[in-house]
Amino acid sequence: MSQATAPAHPGEHHAEESKFWVYVQIAMLLAVITGVEIVAIGLPFSKWLLVTSLVILSVVKFLFVIFYFMHLRWDKLFCTILFFIGLVLAGGTAWALMLLFGVEDSKPLTYEEAASIAAPADVRFIT
Amino acid sequence: MSSHATATLDHHNDPTTSTGIPNKKLLMWAFLASDCMFFGTLISTHMIYRLHPPPGNPDPRAVFDIPLTSFSTFILLMSSLMMALAVNAIQKGNVRSMRFSLLTTIFFGLIFLGCQVYEFSHFVHDKGLTISNSILGSTFYTLTGTHGLHVLIGVIWLTAMYFYSFTGRVTEKQAIDVESMGLYWHFVDIVWIVIFTVVYLLEYL
Repeated sequence: MSQATAPAHPGEHHAEESKFWVYVQIAMLLAVITGVEIVAIGLPFSKWLLVTSLVILSVVKFLFVIFYFMHLRWDKLFCTILFFIGLVLAGGTAWALMLLFGVEDSKPLTYEEAASIAAPADVRFIT
Repeated sequence: MSSHATATLDHHNDPTTSTGIPNKKLLMWAFLASDCMFFGTLISTHMIYRLHPPPGNPDPRAVFDIPLTSFSTFILLMSSLMMALAVNAIQKGNVRSMRFSLLTTIFFGLIFLGCQVYEFSHFVHDKGLTISNSILGSTFYTLTGTHGLHVLIGVIWLTAMYFYSFTGRVTEKQAIDVESMGLYWHFVDIVWIVIFTVVYLLEYL
């Protein structure tokens, strides 16, 4: 619960007053970035450049929301650490799975490919 | 509440807890961290199956409707703005302004849900993509449906808070209740930021 204590930093009251316009400006920026993303997918650039651009733009939007709208910029560092623990675990899991399933051997065989492989005598394909 | 009281309240720290963070806020951040992992697995599953689509899988570009999804994304971003303004208002003790912002957030949330219902209906009836007839359908509906469920829970929570504010119990001192709800709503927004890029936009490259 909020406590009746003095603001931690001088000028914090002024910062609270000006947050309204900070939020509005950030929302406009997020809308513009979203527009840029939509336009970007139609541009005739190389795929790696577009993928990198889209990922960077998404990360920028993500960071603006968590640090400004979700107040991580003004909250204690522990909140950021706590959230990033979950984020790193989720991102690490996704990264590991993409690596694991991205290798050639992870590609699922078609029926024809599977049938062409010499199977042991005791293995039968169920059709 | 008067503006004088605003100057004496610190909404980011609580010296009575061992961490200095309000307990409700800490609880919400811990929950959101766990929800990150939940959505991480769902998004990973979708990406894995998109890496190696089985024969006969429908082409997402023939199914997706980018203008509609872009509109939904814009609406959700604006709802995040209104939620941030609601938190800002109650932290200043301005309950009427908070109510207006909450109502607008609810409205935007309902528009987003309406767009999603329309999208699902369009995909099922016009495009023939169901949850069980392809892996794309299974992972897509599971991921975006789970996100939609989160939005629905958020809308219900916002509506409950809106009506609860008329009891006079939502004041500047209880701003943490609105702020916790705001954290949840913004989280729903950042998950959509990832889904919009990974599930929709990357398909067009």
